[in-house]
Amino acid sequence: MASLRDRESLAAVSPEPASSDFTGVIDGTLQRRTLLKMMAVGAGALAWPGGMAYGQGGEKVLRIAMTLSDIPVTTGQASGGAEGGRFINRSIYDALLTWDLSQADKPSGLLPNLATSWSVDPKNRNRWTFKLRNDVKFHDGSQFTAHDVLWNFEKSMNPNAAHYDRLQARNAANWLVSVKSAKAVDDFTLEITTKRPNGTLLYELVNVFYSSPRQWEKLGHDWTKVAFAPSGTGPYQLVLLVPRNRAELVRNANYWNKSMVPQHDRMVLRPMPDANTRVSALLSGQVDLVEALPPDAVPTVKGAGMQVTTNVYPHIWPYMVSHLKSSPFSDIRIRKAANLAIDRENLVKFLGGLAVPAQGMVTPDHPWFGNPTFKVKYDPDGARKLMADAGYSKSNPVNVNVTMSAAGSGQMQPLPMNEFIQENFRDVGINMSLSTVDWEALRSRRFAGAEGDLNKGVDAINYSWSIQYPVFGLIGQTYHSENRVKGYNWGHFADKKADQLALNALDAFETEEQNKRLGELHSYLVDNAVWVWVVHDMNPRGLAAHVKGFIQAQSWFQDFTRIRIER
Amino acid sequence: MLWYVLRRLAYVLPILLGVSIVCFSLLHLAPGDPLTAVMPEFASDQVIEQIKRSYGFDKPVPVQYLLWLFNALSGNLGLSQVANRPVLDEIVPAMVNTFQLAAFGIGLSLLGGIGLGLLAGYTRRLVTDRAITTTAIIGVSVPHYWVGLVLIAILAVTLGLLPAMGKAPPSPGFGLDDIRHMILPGITLALIPTGIIARSVRATVIDVRKQEFVQTLQANGLPPRRTFLHVVKNASPTVLAIIGIQLGHLVGGSILVETVFAWPGTGYLLNNAIAYRDIPVLQGTILVLATFFVMLNFLVDLAQPFLDPRMTRQ
Amino acid sequence: MNTPATHAGEAPARAVEPNKRIQRTYWQAARRRLLHDPVSMGCLGILSLIITAAILAPWITPYDPYTSSIVNRLKPILAPGFVLGTDELGRDMLTRLIYGGRISLLMGLLPIFIATLAGSILGIVAGYFGGKTNMVIMRVADIFFAFPSVLLAVGLAGALGAGVVNVLISLSLVFIPPITRVAEAATTQIRAQDFVEAARATGASAPRIIVGHVLTNVSSPILTYSSSLIGLSIVLASGLSFLGLGISPPLADWGLMLNTLRQSIFLAPVNAVLPGAMILIASVCFNLLSDGLRAAMDVKP
Repeated sequence: MASLRDRESLAAVSPEPASSDFTGVIDGTLQRRTLLKMMAVGAGALAWPGGMAYGQGGEKVLRIAMTLSDIPVTTGQASGGAEGGRFINRSIYDALLTWDLSQADKPSGLLPNLATSWSVDPKNRNRWTFKLRNDVKFHDGSQFTAHDVLWNFEKSMNPNAAHYDRLQARNAANWLVSVKSAKAVDDFTLEITTKRPNGTLLYELVNVFYSSPRQWEKLGHDWTKVAFAPSGTGPYQLVLLVPRNRAELVRNANYWNKSMVPQHDRMVLRPMPDANTRVSALLSGQVDLVEALPPDAVPTVKGAGMQVTTNVYPHIWPYMVSHLKSSPFSDIRIRKAANLAIDRENLVKFLGGLAVPAQGMVTPDHPWFGNPTFKVKYDPDGARKLMADAGYSKSNPVNVNVTMSAAGSGQMQPLPMNEFIQENFRDVGINMSLSTVDWEALRSRRFAGAEGDLNKGVDAINYSWSIQYPVFGLIGQTYHSENRVKGYNWGHFADKKADQLALNALDAFETEEQNKRLGELHSYLVDNAVWVWVVHDMNPRGLAAHVKGFIQAQSWFQDFTRIRIER
Repeated sequence: MLWYVLRRLAYVLPILLGVSIVCFSLLHLAPGDPLTAVMPEFASDQVIEQIKRSYGFDKPVPVQYLLWLFNALSGNLGLSQVANRPVLDEIVPAMVNTFQLAAFGIGLSLLGGIGLGLLAGYTRRLVTDRAITTTAIIGVSVPHYWVGLVLIAILAVTLGLLPAMGKAPPSPGFGLDDIRHMILPGITLALIPTGIIARSVRATVIDVRKQEFVQTLQANGLPPRRTFLHVVKNASPTVLAIIGIQLGHLVGGSILVETVFAWPGTGYLLNNAIAYRDIPVLQGTILVLATFFVMLNFLVDLAQPFLDPRMTRQ
Repeated sequence: MNTPATHAGEAPARAVEPNKRIQRTYWQAARRRLLHDPVSMGCLGILSLIITAAILAPWITPYDPYTSSIVNRLKPILAPGFVLGTDELGRDMLTRLIYGGRISLLMGLLPIFIATLAGSILGIVAGYFGGKTNMVIMRVADIFFAFPSVLLAVGLAGALGAGVVNVLISLSLVFIPPITRVAEAATTQIRAQDFVEAARATGASAPRIIVGHVLTNVSSPILTYSSSLIGLSIVLASGLSFLGLGISPPLADWGLMLNTLRQSIFLAPVNAVLPGAMILIASVCFNLLSDGLRAAMDVKP
């Protein structure tokens, strides 16, 4: 624990002057100048803005290696998917709700955050009312109110608003898609109207974050400048941003939630997409915590006296298969056979035990698992029998084309894993040809859906997926026709019963009932073998010996504020 | 002299124009929709059209090229599709970092290359000569990205002597920590130019020593250190030309080494642009790097006559 | 400047006929010199071994290159049954390296072959016809020459997308311009020689003169130059695979093997380093051999 004196001294060197230096630099770069001037400015951007030398004076610094290749958007709605949310959104900003990340032994649930309570109008289930905290201040010192929530909704939803930001809108689109309108009843009461009754709204709002309108005004209505000096309400404040290189955040000693004031002084985020680079950086003492440790590095990291933390989290590494007529996977026997053909135990062994064999979208202990009758397991004989029924065998295999990426967020180790499964499949009469595209190209193929031009001749994509939210993991994967959400249900699984089960789940506003209905939906999806499920990642992280107090929650998000640096 | 400069310039300008056409074509070579990275996940057809228009993709290709070229000339290389920042703002700091590392690498290779070259040249036909020329060839042939991996594994991770990756944290001035971060990638980058410089210095030494007047002088009892001056005079234009060209190659070809060492330069930027299909960044970076390369060659050409008076007579 | 003709002795000074005879003895002398160079012969031996192994891969490899076995993963070098150990999926490294050599060598040699063919044709046409033809061809070559080779290869492969064919296209495009330049320079000099003038005076057609006189004289500088690019081509092709722009699994070249194995570099350093060592060996051998070839033909760089 840092002493109180430490905290005060830190507040004294707080970031204000530093960040304004920075906006000066950005001012310059925005102009079109000669190359020479630009070079000088570029060099200037590397100079340390404050007077304090880096990491000196007993400052406790936590340096983290992310898997992203760039610092996510810092203005309020981060890019970079869950990782952007984990490191940027939840550090600089707050949402109305938050995840309970204090425990490692159960799936994380939702907790009040900027909103203290909420209710749904029983007469009009589209109308939600949220009571907001009245003791929350932005980093710029201004008060957080319901009007700021509306302003932030507009920045992502209203293209005609002066402060509309295409980039944040893109990152928030998933989470605001069911919001129709909102209004401030008073300074601390917010009313949200949804497009249709949606019992999963809270799972969406937990990902909407609020930046200060005053800061945007102050910085000349320019989001590009805000990116270098953002103002949120979160436990950290950004003091340095060198794109693609590093972001430095210092503790917000005045954070409203006293239990989450960071227990270190500074957090440095460094993008390192290459797993080997992350391991080398950890082992050579350049960083203190690395994300997504490759399994083969675990013995070395442990051997160096460092720590490795793991836990299940709502992640699935599947094949999203095409249900279109042209695809062999439109035959349920082949889908089931593929599910039975994979030797998950050995695959997990290959992954150094850092994965859990999948039995569906979620793990069997998850409240949404339900009670499926089709057991996803390794049963090559059963698989061969199903394949024989469908008219195929090892000597007369069915050809399937799968598109994969060589790397990417949550993709684990796609190359060897796919090669391993390729061999498993061959053994039961499925001849899988793999084509590799880059991660971004795979993403655009996912958006396009199996029927898209990009996916002509593609029978499945190997695309890791988050199942932290009901719509992501279950509901979205069933909708079809007019209800289908672009980007979900890649394979066009079209089934009336599944649609009904999905709507039932969406209509449940009470957690117990919602979990039960999601369980029914999940059972139905597993029984129909809508995907080929492989493993859940355990997300191994490597921590230097002096990093204490980290609890790895069963979530895509983590609480880094409790980390202490004890050298 | 001015005539010479103008003639060289007249030769360089059409090349630069051609380079810009090649860079622009990269966008149209790329399969798939170049705008997928910017499209919102739930975009309607109307929004898609609007975004296409805002990027100028609704116009005929030649018009697009002229617009792009005009913008590029005024320093506007467009917006990064992924980061939404001006491409030039992405490239400039990356270029500074790449240049820093390349200059360091060239410095190392000068030391190594000249040393090895002289040694080989003066010990011609001896075992050392053969050993050094073979070493030089290995230096030229080595997959340097692999050497980088090996250096990291041994010197940074196992022995813990040097940082494994990246640039030193920002600090005022240029300090020891900056140099420590540059040593491993610098050595890796220096391998190829060291080999090339060593071979060329060796050849020059041998040439000079073969020349009649040198042999006459030596026969008349001129000490070897006097012939050394002739070697320096004769070798410097070639070595300078090599440095210029190799600096261009290091700056332009650093993608593999920068990827291995996570050095935040243009190569790293380029690799990420490829992974995320960020075509404006890909285009812009290649354009800037190729322009740099052409201009560097141009400057080397210009400098040659000053160092080597024989050139102007030709 | 050097032309092969001057190396062949006093050929340019003589008339048309003796030229051929001298050419033959020139090639014979070059071959004799090459055969007496121990370094070149050593490299030739190593390369023949690698190439023969690659061609005969299905018949000589002890294991299937694709069958994985988790229990056998990352066996160390000289483990019983696995001379060079196993890879991250428990596949025999020796087998994988031999199969990988097929693709690495192909991706290294084919672009040079294509570029030599295309570059020679372009260069000879430009050099022989001169004038506008020369200007158009050489200025276009200059534009591609204006890119550092790695940058051009990466840029093209990056824009075209991953895949073997795209790598072949990119690398060919990288090597055509320099070969064109060498061919053009050599042709321009030959064209000015008396015996070509004489042939032209007798009314021989351009293709005849090119095939009969120009080609025999320019082939040696072109070949020595092209051969010096093979090492680079192998390193570049593997580099593109290393970046993930090359081949897709289960096929693997040395670059991709290096890419997937490097995550195990701390667990099994020797295994992880082997594919890179193969790239190094092949590239060094090609370069030393090319150097020997140059020395044997006494063609300066």
